[in-house]
Amino acid sequence: MNLQIMLLNFPYLVSIFSFCMGTLIVLTQPNLIKKVIGVNIMQSAIFLFYIIVGDVQEGIPPIYDPTLPDAIYVNPLPSCLMLTGIVVGFSITAFALALIVKLYLYYGTISSPNFMKMK
Amino acid sequence: MDEFVQRLPFLCVISILTASFCLPVLARWKKEFCAPLTALVSGLVFVASFFIAHYVMRGNIIRYGVSGWAPPWGIEIVVDPVTSLMIMLLSGSCFIICIYSFASVKHELERIVTGWYYAAYLLCLAGMIGLVISNDIFNMYVFIEVTGISAVALVASKGTRQATEAALKYLLLATIGSGFILFGIGFIYMITGNLNITFIAMELDPVKDNYPIAIWTTISFLIVGLGVKSAFFPLHLWLPDAHSSAPSSSSAILSALVVKVYIIAFIKILFIAFGLEIFHETFIRQLIILLAVMAMLVGSMFAFVQIELKRRLAYSTVAQIGYIYLGIGLGTPWGLAAGLLHILVHALMKACLFLCAGAIYYQTGRKMVNEFSGMGYKMPITMGAFTVAAFSMVGIPLFGGFISKYGLALGSLEANLSTLILVIILSGLLNATYYFPIIGQAYFALDNPSETHAGSGHHAPKKFQRDQIPLSMLAPIIIFALGIIYLGIFPGTVLNFINQTVAVLL
Repeated sequence: MNLQIMLLNFPYLVSIFSFCMGTLIVLTQPNLIKKVIGVNIMQSAIFLFYIIVGDVQEGIPPIYDPTLPDAIYVNPLPSCLMLTGIVVGFSITAFALALIVKLYLYYGTISSPNFMKMK
Repeated sequence: MDEFVQRLPFLCVISILTASFCLPVLARWKKEFCAPLTALVSGLVFVASFFIAHYVMRGNIIRYGVSGWAPPWGIEIVVDPVTSLMIMLLSGSCFIICIYSFASVKHELERIVTGWYYAAYLLCLAGMIGLVISNDIFNMYVFIEVTGISAVALVASKGTRQATEAALKYLLLATIGSGFILFGIGFIYMITGNLNITFIAMELDPVKDNYPIAIWTTISFLIVGLGVKSAFFPLHLWLPDAHSSAPSSSSAILSALVVKVYIIAFIKILFIAFGLEIFHETFIRQLIILLAVMAMLVGSMFAFVQIELKRRLAYSTVAQIGYIYLGIGLGTPWGLAAGLLHILVHALMKACLFLCAGAIYYQTGRKMVNEFSGMGYKMPITMGAFTVAAFSMVGIPLFGGFISKYGLALGSLEANLSTLILVIILSGLLNATYYFPIIGQAYFALDNPSETHAGSGHHAPKKFQRDQIPLSMLAPIIIFALGIIYLGIFPGTVLNFINQTVAVLL
């Protein structure tokens, strides 16, 4: 029975797992580009989480259909919210990459432990 | 008129956003106009905030659905007394610091970034005001990101190696923080199906016993997220680098305002959306008090060992954030009121201290705390303001910091945690240990032997000179210092505002 619940909530597990993975990558990887990739994994995990929250079992796309009076629609709101989230993620990635380029010009490397040695 | 005032908070945010997007275009044509335009916009918002405060003070609460959509569907703006006070503080401080930045930005930044700097400056102001007035948690998240990214831009604008490195560190950690916040918001949406704080509270009230673990998880995610953003003690790692390497006008904004608005958002979510019952039943309260006490003590100790003035001030911010969280954790009327008052007082103190540090760097180029001997004679007005702010930081009566510390002490008596008074006093003494040496050196240090008259047997009397900094830098420092003294002698008006909100929250 537990296995069944696990299977039913499988997307949640994937989301939580990749969130933890992304956070771990940001905090532990020395390479700055990998850190940015970690941020992206983390954010994608959150997007996945929201989209599952909006899902309804046997739901149909949320476009009003007069021929089906008692249809169940999926919840479109979380997906719409994630459009904003994607834009934010994009801008953060762009900004972080720009800063990394600038640091590369200063240090000649993108591995953060090397910064300490160079100071 | 009332109709207009109800729309005013929304109009403020929109007009600041519009101006900030116009600035980079204007900068291509005339770079000299950027700073005055920024001052004009933030000044106008400051004037508007008086109308809002006047309206709110008559017992009304502004509730405005953006573009005509009623609350559960649309974004709602709520302005209660504390929020109106925060709008006044945010726009007023930004206005004054902007006037300061006329001269300091020319001195510290390259000319080419001026337009972008002021665009980020206004964007940051718009994000902060939007965050405090919004009553919709997803909208809050959007404004958190706007504030966060533009704050990083304010740090990175200096373009030096340290500033760029600090900005990247700030950006990555702030992104982790906002990821946690977004996850928390997702959990809240999952439990209640609403994004409006008022409706969340209504939905959560009957079902909160069914989801104890989900609510625990949500609050933990929000504490970690907003804690990273507001530099709550073990999560403060980005703050000292970012605040000390930024240009001085940015440091003032970041340290005085940006870290505080997240606390306002935290108070709103914790006390309105979750409600007092959850606050008292879970162990969130004990956790906040414990971490706040550690912040107050350890932050001060870290500050004590720094020898660069701006780094010392930045670590001092970590300690002062602890006071504000302590007020929240106490959860008694006096405690919460003192915490909210400390947001205000600390904004004035820290802005004043950072502006003084910038002014000293502007005139003499000195950054280290051991180079300040005789500074009180070279820059009497600046060091006078510095002394006022430092006395207030320590909590000497007649200055603003005393009132909030006294309130915190009363709050801990109300909460039956009288040991906390000892911690407050100890932390005040620790503050004294790292501010008083600077002041003592500035006024009472003996001259270097080379400067004294040889053979005269006694030192030549030192003479006061007028500060050699422009009036546009001097006036903001004086205004902040006067504000601290005003809050220390007449805290009644402000406490009146705060108590109205605290009465609703508790």
